[in-house]
Amino acid sequence: MRSRRAAQLSQRQAALLLLVPFLATYALFLVYPFFRGVWISMHDWNLLAVAFNPDAKEFVGLRNYERVMWGEDIEWGLAAPLWQGLGLIGLALAAVLHRRSRVSRFNAIALGVVSLLLVVLPGFHPGEVGRWYDRRFWPTVGNTVLFVGLTVPGVTISALLLAAGMNRETRAMGILRTLFFLSQVLSVTVVTLIWQIMFSPRQGLIANITEVAGGTPINWLTDQQFAMAAIVIATVWWSLGIAMILFLAGLQDISSEIYEAAALDNARGPRAFWFITLPNLRRTITLVVVLQIILHFQVFGQSHLMTQGGPNDTTQVLVRYIYQTGFRDSELGRASAMAVFLFVIMGGFSVVQFIIGREKDE
Amino acid sequence: MTRGYYWLVTGLSIPAFIWLVPTLWMVSLSFQPNDVLARTTSSTAFGLVPIPFTAENYADLFAFGQTPWWFLNSLIVSTGMTLGVLAVSTTAGYALARLDFPFKRTVIAVCLVGLMVPEQAVFIPLYTMFADFGWHNSYHALILPRMAVPIGVFLMLQFFRAIPHDIEEAARLDGVGWLRIFWYIMLPLARPAMMTLAILTFLYAWNDYLWPLVSAQQRDYYTITLGLASIQSNFAQSEGLGRVMASGVIASLPVVILFLIFQRYVVQAMTAGGSKG
Repeated sequence: MRSRRAAQLSQRQAALLLLVPFLATYALFLVYPFFRGVWISMHDWNLLAVAFNPDAKEFVGLRNYERVMWGEDIEWGLAAPLWQGLGLIGLALAAVLHRRSRVSRFNAIALGVVSLLLVVLPGFHPGEVGRWYDRRFWPTVGNTVLFVGLTVPGVTISALLLAAGMNRETRAMGILRTLFFLSQVLSVTVVTLIWQIMFSPRQGLIANITEVAGGTPINWLTDQQFAMAAIVIATVWWSLGIAMILFLAGLQDISSEIYEAAALDNARGPRAFWFITLPNLRRTITLVVVLQIILHFQVFGQSHLMTQGGPNDTTQVLVRYIYQTGFRDSELGRASAMAVFLFVIMGGFSVVQFIIGREKDE
Repeated sequence: MTRGYYWLVTGLSIPAFIWLVPTLWMVSLSFQPNDVLARTTSSTAFGLVPIPFTAENYADLFAFGQTPWWFLNSLIVSTGMTLGVLAVSTTAGYALARLDFPFKRTVIAVCLVGLMVPEQAVFIPLYTMFADFGWHNSYHALILPRMAVPIGVFLMLQFFRAIPHDIEEAARLDGVGWLRIFWYIMLPLARPAMMTLAILTFLYAWNDYLWPLVSAQQRDYYTITLGLASIQSNFAQSEGLGRVMASGVIASLPVVILFLIFQRYVVQAMTAGGSKG
């Protein structure tokens, strides 16, 4: 017995042996690339030049960040009243909701920070003789935010209503759920293939129906007014499933007794939804919204394949701009600076998500 | 069942049908002749019913073009990635959940931070790294980066933590080593969690677009997702609409079948993947 023990690994040795495969890949393919990305962002780094001659890069410190985000003679003021106004409303809302204890301190802070960014960031604009070093960067960020701002409420509201309707364990409901979830498993290229042709003014299903109804088909993907709407519609169709399932899971946790009690008070249907379902689902709703923000901020394929960022850059989004700057213009330094910017934003939302997730566990 | 319930089902069937229409349309177009589609896409019931019918698009797909090859690439990459992720996640998850060693909390914290790093933030440095190694246009270049994502480790960690300690202690008293406990006791217990992780990884691998787009530049190493992107930009002219739609159907078939058979696991996997990064 004793000799057999001696031949065995100690707990520490076993742990080390089991951890090494993961930690090695983690260090090599995630931690190291991350820091290398920050390193690249501080260089003038041309993809092709450096590939031929590793010394062809030049350290420039934070200049790439300046070239991407700043400009000459930049001033601050009420340059975008709509966004900034929205931010002010958000700030006020955060204060009021927190004062009346409708939301936790943490949620109030999160809402406040986002609103503050909305007040501050769009305020920067070039003065009379000024210009942005990169004219396309901030509009691209704006498009990405707009895309998120349209997609997330679209997904959340429709998923919530559908989940509330389907919250019963019957066979018919099971089939309906399957139908709504099915599109979620398709790849982004299948989704864009389907919707490119759906939206086509000559061959598309939507155009065919419009014509039968006597209307003129819209040129969805090449019309500045409709291109963003088109990729939002395709995205809502694609990604409704997860939100719906998360809501259904949240609805399971609300006991039927509450509904029965409410029914005695004549609160059924829409009233029950408003007064019971919504308040009880508050944390799930926050979680779904944050998840969707993280997911959709990384939008790439829809814009890249359906509209190629156009028309006139109206659907150009951040990841596509990073991809183009890096792999079409070969400017890896500037592209990496934008990638770090993306990471900071996503990281912020990930922290929010993590804290909400922990609240749930407790 | 009350009358309200039947109204509800009927009411929900309408949006459910609308939701199904785009997919149905793709399938239906893939069964119509290309010369008809060049004239009109709404022959019968807005093209939702494949009349006139033909299976030629699928025959062409396997006779010409690279779709079968891309399909095979996707199978190899997705299977390889799934096995790789399972291997590193179960081992690390077990060690972090059940074994005691110095700096364990630090290791967990370091891994947790990795959940915050999105693929889009590291794909440029990964590209230059893999270019330095001369790894691009290979299967391992498509597989390795995902193995570093800690989501699987946390899924397994949570599962292993929930297993009662007495099983392990009994085995320890009998003198069974840690590795044997892992292999013969823990892994068989972990089958449901491994299934969830496997499906999550397979779906991710099959549908991933950005990394294959930068890493696989030779058409021979395209995955089906990437290949489909490369033929859809000039769909109508070169290949014929019906054939491109058939490629789309073929590209979706494995994930849809996976979904219909393992629906419960798929939903679990996607919610776990969604709620944890």
